[in-house]
Amino acid sequence: MNRFSKLTISSVFLALLICIPAIIILSYIFTPSSEIWVHLKATVLKDYIYNSLYIMFGVGVMTTAIGFTTAYITTMYKFSFSNIFHYALILPFAIPTYIVAFIYAGMFDMTGSVTTFLLKLFGKKINEIDFYDIMSIEGAIIVMSLVLYPYVYLITKTYLRAESASIIDASKTMGLSSWQIFYKVVLPISRPAIVAGAILAVMEAVSDFGVVDYYGVSTFVTGIFRTWFGMGSVEDASKLAAMLMSFIFLLIFLERFQRRNKKYKSSGKDYRPISKIQLKGTKNILAFIACFLPFFFGFLLPFIQMCFWFSISYEEIIDEDFFTLLSQTLSIAIGSSALITALALLFVYNARRVKTKMTDNIAQVAKLGYSIPGAVIAVGILTAFSFFDNTIIYFFETYFGFNPGLIVGGTVTAVVFGYSVRFIAIAINNYESGFSKIPTTYDDAAKTLQVGEKRAFTSVFAPLLKNATFAAFIMVFIEIIKELPLTMILRPFNFDTLAVRSYELTQQGQIVESSVPSMFIVFLGIMSVLLLAKNMSKD
Amino acid sequence: MLKKTIGKTLLGICILGSSLLASGEVNVYSHRHYDTDKKLFKMFEEKTGIKVNVVKAKASALIKRIETEGKNSPADVLITVDAGRLYQAKTKNILQPISSAILNKNIPENLRDKDNQWFGLTQRARVALLSFDEAKKSDIKTYEDLADPKNKGKVVIRSSSNIYNQSLMAAVIEHHGEAYALKWAKGVVSNMARKPKGNDRAQVVTVANGIGSIAIANTYYIGKMVHNKKEAQREAIKKVKVFFPTFKDGGTHVNVSGAGVAKYAPNKVNAVKFIEFLASAQAQELFAKGNYEYPVLAGVKPSKLVASWGTFKADDISMNALGQNNKTAIKIFDQAGWK
Repeated sequence: MNRFSKLTISSVFLALLICIPAIIILSYIFTPSSEIWVHLKATVLKDYIYNSLYIMFGVGVMTTAIGFTTAYITTMYKFSFSNIFHYALILPFAIPTYIVAFIYAGMFDMTGSVTTFLLKLFGKKINEIDFYDIMSIEGAIIVMSLVLYPYVYLITKTYLRAESASIIDASKTMGLSSWQIFYKVVLPISRPAIVAGAILAVMEAVSDFGVVDYYGVSTFVTGIFRTWFGMGSVEDASKLAAMLMSFIFLLIFLERFQRRNKKYKSSGKDYRPISKIQLKGTKNILAFIACFLPFFFGFLLPFIQMCFWFSISYEEIIDEDFFTLLSQTLSIAIGSSALITALALLFVYNARRVKTKMTDNIAQVAKLGYSIPGAVIAVGILTAFSFFDNTIIYFFETYFGFNPGLIVGGTVTAVVFGYSVRFIAIAINNYESGFSKIPTTYDDAAKTLQVGEKRAFTSVFAPLLKNATFAAFIMVFIEIIKELPLTMILRPFNFDTLAVRSYELTQQGQIVESSVPSMFIVFLGIMSVLLLAKNMSKD
Repeated sequence: MLKKTIGKTLLGICILGSSLLASGEVNVYSHRHYDTDKKLFKMFEEKTGIKVNVVKAKASALIKRIETEGKNSPADVLITVDAGRLYQAKTKNILQPISSAILNKNIPENLRDKDNQWFGLTQRARVALLSFDEAKKSDIKTYEDLADPKNKGKVVIRSSSNIYNQSLMAAVIEHHGEAYALKWAKGVVSNMARKPKGNDRAQVVTVANGIGSIAIANTYYIGKMVHNKKEAQREAIKKVKVFFPTFKDGGTHVNVSGAGVAKYAPNKVNAVKFIEFLASAQAQELFAKGNYEYPVLAGVKPSKLVASWGTFKADDISMNALGQNNKTAIKIFDQAGWK
C-alpha cells in the first residue's frame, strides 16, 4: 500500500510541475477585460474562433479518414507493395509541417511551378480559370492532414493488430459481409485508438503557427502573436491561449464522457495474428492507390523537392558549426525523450494501478500542454522560472550575502522542461493505448498471486509495454527535433538546433539552403520511423 | 562555520548550474538571423578578444525574457530588426542610456533614441515593385496612392501581422492621423489583387507572374532575391522595377535595425564596445555588402546592387513614432479587415 502512495505522490507532484506553465496561462482568463480585449472581441475574435474550430474539425476528419483507411487496409489485406506501405505510410511524420507548407505553396499556389506548367499546357491565364488557391484555410487543412495522419495510422494499426483477429473471425462465423464487418465491428472497436490519434493531430494542428501564418489564415495562434508582439500585451495574448486550451479541454472531456461506461479493454483470451486476405484485380489496384496517395503527397513529393535543393546547396551549408549543431540537437532530443517517456509511464501506470478519479485526471491534465503553442508555453516557463530563480537569489542574498545569479533560467533545463510540458501528451497517449491492450485480468491475477508491486511491474507490465515505450520515445524524439519556437525563446547562449538553423535560412529567403538542416531532420525522422515500423511488425 | 561551508558548497553548485560570466564576454540577445552577423561577431572577437555569446529569437520574446530575468539577466545587448521593438524595450524599462562619442558621431540623430537608449545600425526602405506595364504609367507615386480607387485590383501586399506593415501603418498614422489611416487601410484592402498571404518575396513573385502590378516589399529582400538559388526568385525579380514611393508630405518609409544596452548588463563596457564596433566603417560595409541593407554611417556606400535601384529621400518622422503607434496600427488593420 505504501508503495502505491509513493507512486501517487510523486506522480501528482511531477504532473503539477508540468502543469505550471499551463496554469499560469489559464489564470489569465480571469483577468478583467482590457481595452485591447474589447477591441479583439469587436473585430477579429470571431474569425479566430471560427477558423480554429474549422481547422480542428477539418484535420480531425481528414486524418481519421486517411489514417484509419490505410491502417485498416494494410492490417487486413495483402496487395501489391503492401509490405512497403507498412513503413512508407508513417514517413510523412518525418517532415516538419511548415516545410511541406512552403513546398506546396511553391508548387500549387497561383504562381506555383505546377500551376504555371498546367496553365501553359492548356494555354490559359490564371484569371480565366476557376482557380482554387492552396494558400487558404482549406489548403492549410489539407497540408496539415497529409503530414499528421500517421498519428491515427500508427495508433489504430497497433490496436487493430492486437485486437481484431478473434472478433473478426467471430463476425465471419455469424455471417457478416466484409463491409458489415468493417463498419459494424472494426470501426466501433477501433474508436479509442482513432480518437487518441486524431486528438493528437488536432492538437498539433490547432497550435501550429508556421503554416497558417504563411497561408494567411487568422487563427488563435496568429492572434496570440499579433496581440503579444504587435500590441505588446502578453496578458491578452495569454487570454487567447487560455481560450484555445479550454476548447481542447472540452474536446478531451466530451470524448471521455461519451465513452464513460464502455470498457474497451480486451479479455486477453485467444490472441492470434490476423490472417491477411490476398487482394486481386481491381481491389488490389484500389488498395494500392488508397495507400499510395497519402504516401505520395505526404512524403514523396515534398521529399523529392528537398533532395533536389539539398543537392545544390549542401556544400555551402555544411561546415564545422554544422556538426556542433547536429550534436546539440541529438543530445538534447535523446535526453529529453528519455525523460518524457519515463514521466509519462509514471503517470499512466499510476492511473492504471490506483484507479481513482484523481490519478486518471492527472494524466489528462498533463496532456494540455500539447495544445498550447510553444511560444506561449515559453512565456509560462519564463514566468515560473524567474519566480524560482528570484526566490533562490533572495535566499542566498539574505543568508549568505551573495548573489548566485540565474540558476535555471536561460539554461538547458528550461528547454528540456519546455519539451516535457509540450510533448508529454504524445507519450501518455501511446502508453494509454498500450495499457488498454493489457487485459485487466492480469492486474487481478497479479493481485491474487500476491506478487509484489515491484515484481508486478518488472515481470508483468514492463515486458508488455516495451513496444509502447519504444513508440512513445520515438514519436517524442521526432517532435523534439522538429520543435522551433520554444527552443528559440528558452535556449541558452550559443545553442542552436537543426530546426532553428533551417528557420533562420528560410527567414533570409534562402529556402533552397534551408533544405540542408531540414534534410537532416527528415533523415533522423525517417530512421526513427523505420525503427518504429519494424518494432510494430514484431508486435 | 557550518553556515559558511553550506554557503560555499551551494555557491559551487550554482557556478556549475548557471553561467556565471567571465569579464571577457558580451551577451547578445538578437532578433537578427542573418549569416552576415555571424561573420561580424567573429570579426569583433578577433579584434577585441571579447567573446560574443548569442541567443537569437523574435524581439518581443527576447524583451519578455529580459523582463522576467530582471536584475539578474545576463543580457548585455538587445538587437532588433525594427525601431518599434526598440521603442517597446525602452518603455518596458529594460535598456539604459549610453553616452558614447563614437555612436553620437557615427549615427545620425533621427536614427537613434533621443535619450540614447538605442541606436539604429542599418536602414531598410519599404518600397514598391512594379510590373513593367505599371512602371510606364504613373498611377503610384505615394503610399497614399495605394488606397486610390485607380489602383483597384493592383496591390499585392502581405498580412498585417507582419512588423514591416505595422511600421508602415504607424508612419501613415504619424503623417495623417488615425481617421485617415483607417480610410487608407480600407482603400488598400479594396485595391488588393488577392488576400494577403506569404512573405515579402512571395508578393514580388506574384506580381512577376501577372497577378496585380504593385508589390510591396523591403529593400534587402530584393537583394536576397537577385542572389538566390531558386530560379523562380531570380526570374521574378527581372520582371519588376524597384520604385521608391514617398508620403505626400514626406519621404520614403524606412525602418532601422538597431541595438541597445540592457539595463542590468553585467558587461556594460564590452556592450558599448560591441555596438560601437557595429557602427564602425568596417562593420557597416559588411551590413551593406552582405545583407543589402543601407548603412547608417555617412561615407559608407550601399552595395552596387542596392545603389542601382536609385537614391531616395528617407521619411523624416521620428523612429520612436513607429513604436508608439504600433498598437493603434494593429487596431486599424483589424477594423479595416486587413488580414
